[in-house]
Amino acid sequence: MRKILLLSIFLCFQWLFASAQGDLRLKWDSPETDFREFAAKAEQQLNIRFYYKEEWISDVKVSLQPGYYSLQSVLDMLFAGKSLHYYIDDERNVILTLNFGIKTTGAPAGDETAYMPPSQYADENSSDDDSGNLYYDIGNAAEKDKAGDVTVSGYITDRDTHQPVSGVTVFVAKNSAGTISNEHGYYKITLPRGTHLLQYTFIGMKEKQVNINLFSSGELNIEMNSMLIPIKETVISAEKNVMFQRFEVGMEKINVSNFKLLPSPMGEADIFKNVLLIPGVQSVGEGSAGFNVRGGSADQNLILLYGSPVYNASHLFGFFSSVNSEVIKDVTLYKGGIPARYGGRISSVLDIGTRDGNRQEFAGKAGISPITTQLMVEGPVIKDKLTYMLAGRSTYSNWMLHMFDNSSLKNSSASFYDLNGKVVLDIDKNNKLDLSFYNSHDAFRFNSDTLYAYDNNIVALRWRHFFSNSLFSQITFNNSNYRYNISSTDPAEEAFMMSHRINSTSAKADFNWFMGRHELNFGSDLIRYSVLPGKYMPENDSSLVVPQIIDDEHAYEAGIYVDDKFIVTEYFSVNAGARMSSYLVTGPGNILIYDPDQARSILSVMDTLSYSKGRIYKTYGGPELRFSLNFRLSAKSSLKLNYNRTRQYIHLLSNSTSISPSDTWKLSDYYLKPQTGDQYAAGFYKSLPKGIEASAEIYYKSIRNIVDYKGGTKLVMNSSIERDLIDAEGKAYGFELMLKKQEGTYNWSIGYTYSRTLLRTTGKNSEEIINRGEWFPANFDKPHDLTVTFNYLYSRRLSFSANYVYNTGRPITYPVASYSVGNFMLIHYSDRNRYRLPDYSRLDLSLRYNGNLRSKRIAHPSWTFSVYNILGRENVYSVYFRKEGNVVNGYKLSVFAKAIPSVTYSFDF
Amino acid sequence: MRILKLILYPGLLLILSGCVTKFMPEIDESRELLVVEGIITDQNETNTIRLTKSSPLDRKNTIKPVLKCIVNLSDDLGNTWLLKEKGNGYYVTDSTVFRGVLGRSYTLRVDTRNSLPNGYNYESDPVEMKPVPEIDRLYYERVLIAAETDEAPAKEGCEVLLDTRDSGEGCSYFRWDYTETWEISLPYDVTNKICWVTNNSSQILLKNTSHLSQNNISAYPVTFISNETDRLENRYSIFVRQYSISEQEYNYWSRMQTMSEQTGTLYDVMPSSVQGNMNCIEDPSEKVLGFFSVSAKKTKRIYVDELFSGLPALYKDCAVDTVGPTGKIPNLGVSLWIIIDGSYEIPPYRVLTDKKGCADCTVRGTTKKPAFWESEYKHQE
Repeated sequence: MRKILLLSIFLCFQWLFASAQGDLRLKWDSPETDFREFAAKAEQQLNIRFYYKEEWISDVKVSLQPGYYSLQSVLDMLFAGKSLHYYIDDERNVILTLNFGIKTTGAPAGDETAYMPPSQYADENSSDDDSGNLYYDIGNAAEKDKAGDVTVSGYITDRDTHQPVSGVTVFVAKNSAGTISNEHGYYKITLPRGTHLLQYTFIGMKEKQVNINLFSSGELNIEMNSMLIPIKETVISAEKNVMFQRFEVGMEKINVSNFKLLPSPMGEADIFKNVLLIPGVQSVGEGSAGFNVRGGSADQNLILLYGSPVYNASHLFGFFSSVNSEVIKDVTLYKGGIPARYGGRISSVLDIGTRDGNRQEFAGKAGISPITTQLMVEGPVIKDKLTYMLAGRSTYSNWMLHMFDNSSLKNSSASFYDLNGKVVLDIDKNNKLDLSFYNSHDAFRFNSDTLYAYDNNIVALRWRHFFSNSLFSQITFNNSNYRYNISSTDPAEEAFMMSHRINSTSAKADFNWFMGRHELNFGSDLIRYSVLPGKYMPENDSSLVVPQIIDDEHAYEAGIYVDDKFIVTEYFSVNAGARMSSYLVTGPGNILIYDPDQARSILSVMDTLSYSKGRIYKTYGGPELRFSLNFRLSAKSSLKLNYNRTRQYIHLLSNSTSISPSDTWKLSDYYLKPQTGDQYAAGFYKSLPKGIEASAEIYYKSIRNIVDYKGGTKLVMNSSIERDLIDAEGKAYGFELMLKKQEGTYNWSIGYTYSRTLLRTTGKNSEEIINRGEWFPANFDKPHDLTVTFNYLYSRRLSFSANYVYNTGRPITYPVASYSVGNFMLIHYSDRNRYRLPDYSRLDLSLRYNGNLRSKRIAHPSWTFSVYNILGRENVYSVYFRKEGNVVNGYKLSVFAKAIPSVTYSFDF
Repeated sequence: MRILKLILYPGLLLILSGCVTKFMPEIDESRELLVVEGIITDQNETNTIRLTKSSPLDRKNTIKPVLKCIVNLSDDLGNTWLLKEKGNGYYVTDSTVFRGVLGRSYTLRVDTRNSLPNGYNYESDPVEMKPVPEIDRLYYERVLIAAETDEAPAKEGCEVLLDTRDSGEGCSYFRWDYTETWEISLPYDVTNKICWVTNNSSQILLKNTSHLSQNNISAYPVTFISNETDRLENRYSIFVRQYSISEQEYNYWSRMQTMSEQTGTLYDVMPSSVQGNMNCIEDPSEKVLGFFSVSAKKTKRIYVDELFSGLPALYKDCAVDTVGPTGKIPNLGVSLWIIIDGSYEIPPYRVLTDKKGCADCTVRGTTKKPAFWESEYKHQE
């Protein structure tokens, strides 16, 4: 009988704006009863329908003398002094609301004393605009004259997917007050009582404005519309105030729909290509695995999927990211100001947020591109309670490679797939459980018989519990496993299989507590690492390879953290936090002790220490402070200062320029100290006229205990790796300038970054010194970096976009001379990274045309024409040298050396 | 919501095949650097040091000897020997006055101020002469490259291996080089029919036994004689020299080895300049290349006389023309040579070749039989 309507507020709220009903006359002849019975009678008599939650009206008693009453007056009387409100629409629906009332009115915002009485509904049609017309009464009107500030809180969800939207800026211009929704979509803002205009903004979402009459603390849940659904009505709205509201300096949030629109080389939407457009993020070369953030090496980025670290996030030698873009909801990159809840890497955190399955209906998506085919299905098992989402992607590049009449391609193979799955269970309103898994596999062989294969496996279980409207908790358990095998069967007697594996299991508890002007985050985590550094085994019976296994490494990393976002005044807020991390290396292990006065070598071994299983033999750790100050200089500009320290206990050993498929992870141990980074950053943000936003960030970073390598040493299957490692320190500094306009017919952005990253060895022995102990540029030191993007919406059906990238070539060590010793011709190299590759420059264009826009039509085709590298510039990927006869010849390899056109046809139905 | 995505794509493989073009970077370091090479051994022989200059990268690597230098050798007891210039950049010890002694440390000094405009004094780190065990066994094994088929006989190669036993002297870094000599015999009755060809090793041969409890080396592959050459055709001999080197020298060579394996991907080990053991006295930043080695030396020679199957007939495509017995042959001895003189056959004829190597074995070797060449064959047909 009673329908419970989950009242939602969304933009096309047509029925709200209809005129209110005239008086409804109710004939009453019953004795005292409860509200439920009253409603039933009223529904019967007046052909109306009530919507409410049982718990709201349990204590509402109705005792009326028999007679005729106006329904409205009865309700007014019943709800007087309670936080209940009602609204009667055109369709004779009576909607009860708790803590806020619904009205349609054109009353101006800004008059703090003029309250709209809950029952006074203006008979006024409103336009389809988003702002200024919806009025909500929040709290109990009886409390309107009490003293003190009150709070508005609630959940923000996506209207289409019913999923919480995190990172939404809630802003009240009049008071310059603001907050950001947390990862559960929850927000809470403290305001004086009175009338306010609340603005909700988020990248990729339509901005939403809501007027409220704030009587006392109450709830306001908001649904927001994704704006990048090209067929439907498109309104581009600015991310106004987004940057001003952030407490973190150097945080970037990318919405998945944004990056799907950018031109990509093979029609495959790729998250990493987008991350690379962010100022301060660079890569060593086109198609190289990993990225470098503000002068950090690629292993200093914590890439999180389902809250678990991904140890190798690339497919096909690094040309694609290994996370399917179909499962991504949003991506947050912290390049500075890393929140205290993250630890373990010193440069950045890339947190990949994933979508839940559709809560309402079964849905699916199939796609085919030149590289992959993919399929995604999602839907509810129990509507609004239990949902699933499964996505798989696989390549058929093997088949493509073999079609070509090129022997080196015929001898090559490359295949990969990845699978994602997620099941979400809403146990009740306050408990949500989700279980996710991820698996990726790669196998490739490049014109040789050596097969490289690697796998990532992640399983994660998360329990979210809401203690109250202001205290949230999240408990996560996960396991992430990465392993690779390199095998070769030629020659048969040397057939081998080399394996490496890293496995981490972690448990993490996070709490999020809103207390007035404070938002407190605290929690702890524990990670157990187990690493198989290397195993070298004969591949078959005829192989003569002697098996070699380097002992496993084991360690624990534990952390506790607390941070407080404290809004001191309207113009000043502080975010102060600390993370205490500790790291324990446990046995079994045999440690060689070297003569401290000599370079570590077999000759300087003095002793061996043996530790039994589980015995802790080395500990590291310490506090990591995270601190930022946020000054609002005016309504349109703000200044932020930030300091953070980070520690990293696991390292990727790589003495090649880019992350290579044979690189191994190494835990800090007796000799290898954790890397420590300190970053100081300042940012200035300003809104300019015409919707242009300007930002400037400057940073300085110092890093201790960077791992470098003695020239020309092998790192795989090296059981005494400490002899080949060199201690180095690093400094990185630079500034990032950004101008962007994201509303209107034209929108564009220009980002320029100047950055330097320098390293210096700190060893004493000649073998441990590179370039005489002077500062030298790191492999990814590219001082100038310019990124320009441009979008032009010619009409609703036709849009054009372009992006241009320029950067300085990466440093390289060139051979400078050849010489003969005996019969050998040898090559003499320059100082490390003394030279640079030629500069990199690339322009991409794309044109998108929508076939028709009639929303009633079943199918919506659209065409995208794009050209990657339209100038056909032969950007240098790498340079190498070969001895040919008695001459050394240099060659350069360009990867996307020609303009690469592609046509994408999408069909949405 | 369902989306069906179709992408039409013309040029995918442009990408995967990449694009390689010749590229010579601009290098601002064109200075020629001094290169020092040579080894001092414990044998009663002349030790040779060679001084040359490096070639800038974009030029041919030609040997540019450094002449008129003052080169001397001293030991840790204060003795000094002056090396005699022999021309072409070679400087030699006098075997009547100098012989390396085990356990002594030697230092090489080179003064190039008389010979180069920007000359300096150079000095090596002192290097101790370490003992080296005998080569226990130098031997070869027959290796099947391709099995016998109906059309072709089996192809066989020959792997030369060595064993060395730990003699308790504590050597754990080994280096070898070798000289191979083989007899060739042209299949024609020409004046220079039988020659001996000599070749020096061009691979860096190293072994580190420091991680082993005993410094035993077994079946170390010295060289593989493939089926493609005629080394195994008649008689082959290899002379292997075994050195015991310092860890410093081992690291020098092993890095050189690693860096010669560049393939052009971003996965290559990053190259770096490898520091030898010579230093410039006046200006420590002045680079000097090469390595001054000091080591005891043990040698061994073996012969390979066995028959191997499936060897190539290198001289099967020699004949280009057959001419009559008397006619004048233009360019005889310049671009045409006689390989078969059938002047006394009936009918008389002569067979010509345009490859001098088919008619004269001195193109590849020497007709002078090496002094060590043992005359008796261990196998006879």
